[in-house]
Amino acid sequence: MGAPAADRTARPVFAADALAGRRALVTGGTRGIGRAIALALARAGAVVTVTWATREQDAEDAAKALAACGEGHGVRRCDVRDRQAVTTLFGEMKEAGGIDVLINNAAITRDAHLMLLADDAWDDVLAANLTGPFLCTRAALRGMIAKRWGRIVNVISPAALAGKAGAANYAASKGGLLSMTRSLAREVARFGITVNAVCPGLVETPMFDGLPAHVREAMLAQVPLERTAHPEEIADAVLFLSSGASSYITGAMLAVDGGLVMA
Amino acid sequence: MTDPQDLKQRLKELLITGLRLQEVAPAGIADDQPIFVEGLGLDSIDALELVVLIEEHFGIAIPDEEVGKKAFASINALAEFIAAEQSRGA
Repeated sequence: MGAPAADRTARPVFAADALAGRRALVTGGTRGIGRAIALALARAGAVVTVTWATREQDAEDAAKALAACGEGHGVRRCDVRDRQAVTTLFGEMKEAGGIDVLINNAAITRDAHLMLLADDAWDDVLAANLTGPFLCTRAALRGMIAKRWGRIVNVISPAALAGKAGAANYAASKGGLLSMTRSLAREVARFGITVNAVCPGLVETPMFDGLPAHVREAMLAQVPLERTAHPEEIADAVLFLSSGASSYITGAMLAVDGGLVMA
Repeated sequence: MTDPQDLKQRLKELLITGLRLQEVAPAGIADDQPIFVEGLGLDSIDALELVVLIEEHFGIAIPDEEVGKKAFASINALAEFIAAEQSRGA
């Protein structure tokens, strides 16, 4: 036995039906990059479920935006730090037909210099950004193995590669997620499941907007393309890695960062 | 209650079709031989697929590596595991 042959039927990646018949789950999918990913997958024909944890208004807005893309999409409250909630969500998703595409996007920051980093700020960030993707991925894999097709895309950060002062917890969680990506890619390749990471650089999102102005300017000075990304530009990369067009790519990290890291 | 011999035969057929062992006949799998690593040319990654197959065909979950290792020690061990789980759920 061997891995499935190259998917020569791959449709153009940005076509409206590139993900037709696929069911996708985007964690943290109601604002920022996650929301853009969810909408891009929905426009490409996937049936999309997004999760949210803390902002109900964003969830309502995202539900409206998804409804405008078509029928069948859903918005579900699920904090990926909550094992029981993840189990419940995936049980329901299985009943509804399973998940073909999993986007581990949900993430939080609780910044402090390491010497002053509180235990719970460490635990909380690792729980959301690393254990959460582990729980969701583990729950999604059985269905993907049964179908012998799957796409997992983990959203990481330049901090995973270059480190980030004041955010060792966040950087460690994203570095861990990249390592998990590569390990899992080796484990499940023969089942037609690809596992990749997308590394957004500076993106116009609530997370980036929340930084002090001088920090944002200093960060922008490091970007060869001299601008921030639109969330849609990250979403396009995730859409590519979620589609049949990326069938020979696994364990890869696709930087969508305007040239920021080049690693 | 499933007859143990029937169950073992069914498991061998599931192994052959589910894991696509085209060159192996059910009679070529001994009841007490290790399912993975030795003998059949299957590795620990193939075991992931067998976990999924067992769950689909018998509705029995193999939640972690420890349970899997015991259950997949041989066809005998797997049949015993399934029978025990079935009687527990009955």
